[in-house]
Amino acid sequence: MHKHLNLLFLATENLLRHRTKTVVVCLCIIAILTPFITAIAISEGIRAQSLNSVNAGADLYLTSDEFGRNAAISLKYLDEIKKIFGVTKVVPRIVGRGFLQNKLTVIVGIHKEDIPEPVTCISGRVFENTNEVVVGHELAKYFHLNIGDQFSMRCQQRKVFTVVGIFSADSGIWGASMIFMPFNDAGALFGKENVATDIQIYSLPGHNSEIATDLYDIFQNEAYRLQDKQMIELYVKKGFMLKEGVFSALYIVAIALGVPAILVTSGFGLSERKKEIGIMKATGWQTLEVLELISFEQFLISLLGATIAIVLAILWVGGFRGAFIAQFFIAEITMLPKFALPARFLPLPCFISFFFAFLLTMVGSIYSSWRASTVSPVVSMQS
Amino acid sequence: MIRTENLCKSYGHHSQYKVRAIHDINVNIAKNCFVVFRGPSGSGKTTLLNIIGTLDRPTAGKVFLYDKEITSFSDIAFARLRREKIGFIFQNFHLIPRLTSWENVAYPLIPSGISLKERFERAQFLLEKMELGDRLDHTPEELSGGQQQRVAIARALINNPEIIIADEPTSNIDAETSARILQFLGELKTRGVTILIATHSAIFEKIADTVYTMKNGRIE
Repeated sequence: MHKHLNLLFLATENLLRHRTKTVVVCLCIIAILTPFITAIAISEGIRAQSLNSVNAGADLYLTSDEFGRNAAISLKYLDEIKKIFGVTKVVPRIVGRGFLQNKLTVIVGIHKEDIPEPVTCISGRVFENTNEVVVGHELAKYFHLNIGDQFSMRCQQRKVFTVVGIFSADSGIWGASMIFMPFNDAGALFGKENVATDIQIYSLPGHNSEIATDLYDIFQNEAYRLQDKQMIELYVKKGFMLKEGVFSALYIVAIALGVPAILVTSGFGLSERKKEIGIMKATGWQTLEVLELISFEQFLISLLGATIAIVLAILWVGGFRGAFIAQFFIAEITMLPKFALPARFLPLPCFISFFFAFLLTMVGSIYSSWRASTVSPVVSMQS
Repeated sequence: MIRTENLCKSYGHHSQYKVRAIHDINVNIAKNCFVVFRGPSGSGKTTLLNIIGTLDRPTAGKVFLYDKEITSFSDIAFARLRREKIGFIFQNFHLIPRLTSWENVAYPLIPSGISLKERFERAQFLLEKMELGDRLDHTPEELSGGQQQRVAIARALINNPEIIIADEPTSNIDAETSARILQFLGELKTRGVTILIATHSAIFEKIADTVYTMKNGRIE
């Protein structure tokens, strides 16, 4: 045990003695790992927030089916659906997109009593009357909208909306650029009366299959799509896996440029090191002990580099709101987001980052060290 | 204690310039002997000492230590022998430049699991004996050649070896320091250490028990 502790302390001393090399290798590790850790944290944060929204949402989502895709559904069966045994609540929604001046926004038409609980106002109130809207905090900031201000959407300029409330940032990134309005106003805005983009069905636990059977009887020959919470969850997960995959693919290209830098800097002072290894071997060090010392050095430098990279990633997300990187994961976001991003720093990506750094530095040093410690000490000392 | 049988070492097997560094060397060295290998440069003295000291392997022949054939030992066993029984003093000192004197001396003790305190005390004791008690925290570049060689001698003694192998220990230092090193090696012999020295210098012959003269890789 003392032997390993001695080697660990010596490795620490060696890193301090070769400060320039230590700093350069550390900087390379940080440059490679920080964007990666930041991106994974943002992706995980958004994924968690999305899954929370799904979990807090309805049990079943009902839409029409046109050409195998979701389509607007008529409200004519709404009363029949409400009467199905096991259904506790039915919420028709209109979710669409429209330009407010030059900015694309998400428009949600919903009845006042159906507004989701997590949506709270930081100022003003929830809409009561027709043509009243509640806007997301980022949108309000972008257009300097205040309570009482009026605007119209590009697609229906005659219709004037009045801002009566602004969402809090706690409503999540989805609320940031969103406009909530009464269900009928949204229908009028998009020129679609008596239809919803989907109907959310809340049910008693264990009743989904019976409800599905009853819906089959209600819709008879009409094409419709029924998706449950698990399916939505799966779509969300698949979507994020795809985004993370695209990011990782792009990132591998960047890493490919950074790796040679680490390999070169890890091998700095190789000649001096080779001679040192020769002296160590001549004075009784065994090859395994030499390699253990080198491994400790790489372990410590990787740990240091990865730790700093994690701290910088936390600052990047917290202080700079994931600038330049968040747009990989959130559509239509600016390079410098104006709201706090959800981020989760999970242990596994952090550990993988450390392991990756360790692997890189080991590749840069272990072979040359092994070569130096397995040849005759006389040869190594002559380097 | 140390015996060699038809020891040969050649270099450049795959090149057209094959060099025989030593050829058919047979020596028999008793315990607590002071042995000098003398001869001109390129006569094979260093190669022979490197092989006896397990720093290198022969092309042919055998080395026996306490009647045990060690040539076929593994690298691990060689390292153990060097750690426990052999101390080296090199012509170019071979100190690690970024370490202080005491750290250089104590370096071989690190893998033995000896505590920092004990390592420092043992290194300090030896450096004081080498009259370098005031140079404990000096790096090699802050020491003269003679002082560096005394640090190297202290390092060779840190594990209390039974054999000291010195390769041209006085060739890079002044006459006064050479005389002190000679005196110190003489003291070691009185404590039962077996000493093997390769040298051009005649000063060691005064206290040597045996002198081998080498020429063209052979003992004359």
